[in-house]
Amino acid sequence: MRRAFAYLAAIAAGCALGLGSALWLAGLWPAGRSLAFGDVDVGGWRSDFAIGSKAADPYTRARVARHGLLALAKTEAVYLTRSLDDAGAPLREACTYRLSGGTMPAGWWSVTLYDSQSMLPGNTDSALSIDAERAGDGAWEAVIAPQKPEGAAHWISSRSAGTFDLTLRLYMPDAALLADPGTALDPPRLARLSCEGAA
Amino acid sequence: MMRWLGPLLVLAGSAAGAHALTLHFAPAVIMARAMDALEERGVALHRFTTPARVTPQAQSIVRSSPDLYYALCRYDLSDPAGALELRMGAWPDYQSLAFFDAQTDNFATLRGTGQQVSVRLLPPGSATEDGAIVSPTTKGVILIRRLAPDAARFAAAAEAGKADECRLR
Repeated sequence: MRRAFAYLAAIAAGCALGLGSALWLAGLWPAGRSLAFGDVDVGGWRSDFAIGSKAADPYTRARVARHGLLALAKTEAVYLTRSLDDAGAPLREACTYRLSGGTMPAGWWSVTLYDSQSMLPGNTDSALSIDAERAGDGAWEAVIAPQKPEGAAHWISSRSAGTFDLTLRLYMPDAALLADPGTALDPPRLARLSCEGAA
Repeated sequence: MMRWLGPLLVLAGSAAGAHALTLHFAPAVIMARAMDALEERGVALHRFTTPARVTPQAQSIVRSSPDLYYALCRYDLSDPAGALELRMGAWPDYQSLAFFDAQTDNFATLRGTGQQVSVRLLPPGSATEDGAIVSPTTKGVILIRRLAPDAARFAAAAEAGKADECRLR
């Protein structure tokens, strides 16, 4: 009887361990973990170029299904996400950031802010992203803050975002980007300017 | 010590099995839940449905872009004799017709900047044909994206979307 109980307990514990470890490694549990993962890392912007394809490993597939469902394969679009600023600190609603960049190796691009649930933050500011058309040719700059700063040419609202991340979409990516992202992409920089309550 | 060897091996085997099964089924479970959510939000079967412009107050899919127009069509090709007739109307800017199976794989994408695109989608196991794509699974989602980063362009994209078609024959 004790022996049977030991085997039953081993099965229950094993299933719980396997389930928990799979959900954790795939980024499905606990809730609120970021999509900023993958083997591509260009200036803090991370991606797995296998997203959307059968080549993706089971961890990537599960994570993308949760955080990036209906993402396109890399020949059509590349998605890079970052959840840290240039100094390595998590992105927070209480802080103000300067996002700056230049020409991208793609037909069209955008940077969009998402909350920890991978959803657009629940505000009504109509300032959720910047894209190639609004940025124009050459160098561009946008301020990320909970309130619109005076004089900013472009603003991305972080109001109601809590801890957030940014997704860079590169549609119709250049072949050079897919072959060698570290060389082809001059990644947008993200400097923290100030934080509420900071000394 | 030896009497614990059996339970320990069972524990390790159960953990490995549960780990692999969870990873294997997670995308399909998440996709099935997403399909249910789309159905609840009015995304039709075998017809393109255009949700409202993506805003924080109107978003049904994680990480949707507020700069894109999306049109969705759920499909079910359980009948091996069935097929979907698809058409993406012309749009002067970037647009694409993307196919996702029940495992979340993006198994095909057709780009159609400035032009209309027509194609058929055939059930799993069908012979390949010119102008047709074979779906790896019976169920899935087809998604049209159009570049439309402001309200006026979104309205124009919706007008262009009147030429879109997703029809079972």
